[in-house]
Amino acid sequence: MKNLVENFFRHEYGHLVAVLTQKVGFTHIQDVEDAVQNALTAALETWTHNGSPEKPHAWLFKVATNNLLGTLRQNNRRAEILEENVQNITASKEQDIESVLSREFKDGILNWLFFCCHPSIATESQLVFALKTLCGFNIKEIANRLFISEANVYKRYSRARKYLQKKSEDFPQLTKYDYNNRLQAVNKVLYLIFTEGYLSSHLKYSIRTEMCEDALRLSTILINNKIGVDPQSFALKALFHLHFARLPARTNDNNELLLLEKQDRKLWDKDHIRQGLYWLSQASTGNNFSRYHAEAGIAIEHCLAPSFEQTNWDKIVKCYELLEKTNPTALHRLNKAVALGQWQGSDAGLSELKSQDIPNWLINSYQYQAVISDLNRRSGNHNQANDSADLAIKLAPTPAIKHSLKLRLNPHS
Amino acid sequence: MTMKKYLCVVRSPSGKCNPPSPSQMEEMYAKFNAWKDKFESNIFDMGSKLGDSGKVVSQSKTVDGPFVEVKEIIGGYMIIEAESMQKAIEVVKESPGVGSPESSVEIREMIQPPME
Repeated sequence: MKNLVENFFRHEYGHLVAVLTQKVGFTHIQDVEDAVQNALTAALETWTHNGSPEKPHAWLFKVATNNLLGTLRQNNRRAEILEENVQNITASKEQDIESVLSREFKDGILNWLFFCCHPSIATESQLVFALKTLCGFNIKEIANRLFISEANVYKRYSRARKYLQKKSEDFPQLTKYDYNNRLQAVNKVLYLIFTEGYLSSHLKYSIRTEMCEDALRLSTILINNKIGVDPQSFALKALFHLHFARLPARTNDNNELLLLEKQDRKLWDKDHIRQGLYWLSQASTGNNFSRYHAEAGIAIEHCLAPSFEQTNWDKIVKCYELLEKTNPTALHRLNKAVALGQWQGSDAGLSELKSQDIPNWLINSYQYQAVISDLNRRSGNHNQANDSADLAIKLAPTPAIKHSLKLRLNPHS
Repeated sequence: MTMKKYLCVVRSPSGKCNPPSPSQMEEMYAKFNAWKDKFESNIFDMGSKLGDSGKVVSQSKTVDGPFVEVKEIIGGYMIIEAESMQKAIEVVKESPGVGSPESSVEIREMIQPPME
């Protein structure tokens, strides 16, 4: 088995850290992280020489556990518990060991997710902690993906770790109450992992998609457990699929982001759209309407529209209105104005924006100025359209975006 | 064309360097396998990594080695089979082992006794 599944090392890191820390207690998280890192390094060296083993999960599990046992020898009780547990797992029939581990990994990952979404930890720290421990990114890679400094990532990570370490020498058994109570926070972290990838302006396609893939993987584990049988979690999974469906068409060959109207809809992934539809229908129970429902509702209208012109803009505007009730943000209002401009004409879009208080950070963004320019041009206000177009191009952060704005807003012509 | 064997000695800086992240490992793994496939016929012995410390034996004494004062230590070896030094260099140059800026590979022909 030479070709391991994609992201094997990263995912395995998350599995092993989550499972082993739960066995030996949170105090030993550093030992666990080191043991797992060393096991992966050993795998890299051994497997490149001799080929990878038939049961790579079991191989890594044994090596990581042995490393950890070596470190924990001085702490007899911990070592004993771990040793017993490993014997139980490795004593299972050889052919079953990978499936025993796979079950163990899924439970471990889920517990871990709920564990790190502790209500006393800030969401931004929860996010970094999950990316580091569950997704196997190192500090530098996280900084690179979230567009924040390494020092900032480290601060967020160590805050979460310190808090959890202080609270829990053992790995705490969460109660049913904890699980219910933290489900929203877990959904939020998955949502953030996804959107950080989805909205990323990284040039490499694989870097943009890997966080989306991870969020989808974790959300699938969540909804396959009875804890995750919840309309919000279903709506979130639907949203992931519906965004995922359109990822292949979002950029051109030069890695420039393409506007919805320029995307080749034939490239949209039908299987993801089907799954999105299915999970959105599963989500439509109960009376808990969340932002994920509204966002998935918008996404599905786009996915099902045969063309940009034939989109049900009225339904999209309705969804934005619902979104304003659950999560009023200026960005949603801007998007709503765009949808209104498509549905009832550019004047309607403009007056929607005029009637709102728009915060300065949004006014000073190229996205806002581009929308204003476009609406004004369609309404025949060429001077205002040109002014906003110039401003948008000036505010754009990269040459690639400037270039595509020039083409799109077509100033002074 | 007769093939010659070349011993390749990998030198890396002594002391610990930052371990690669899981994603980096993934990349190294893929590169290594691609390299192995490409030069399958040239790789005679994948060799191995060498332990950090050892002994140096001479007639008069046995001491600890490698010498701590050297900045680079021999980290591993392998044996390449190629028709010429030129080809051996090509194989080694593309190997992911020389990927890190600090390590280097010394290539020496393994002289074989002339055949009858």
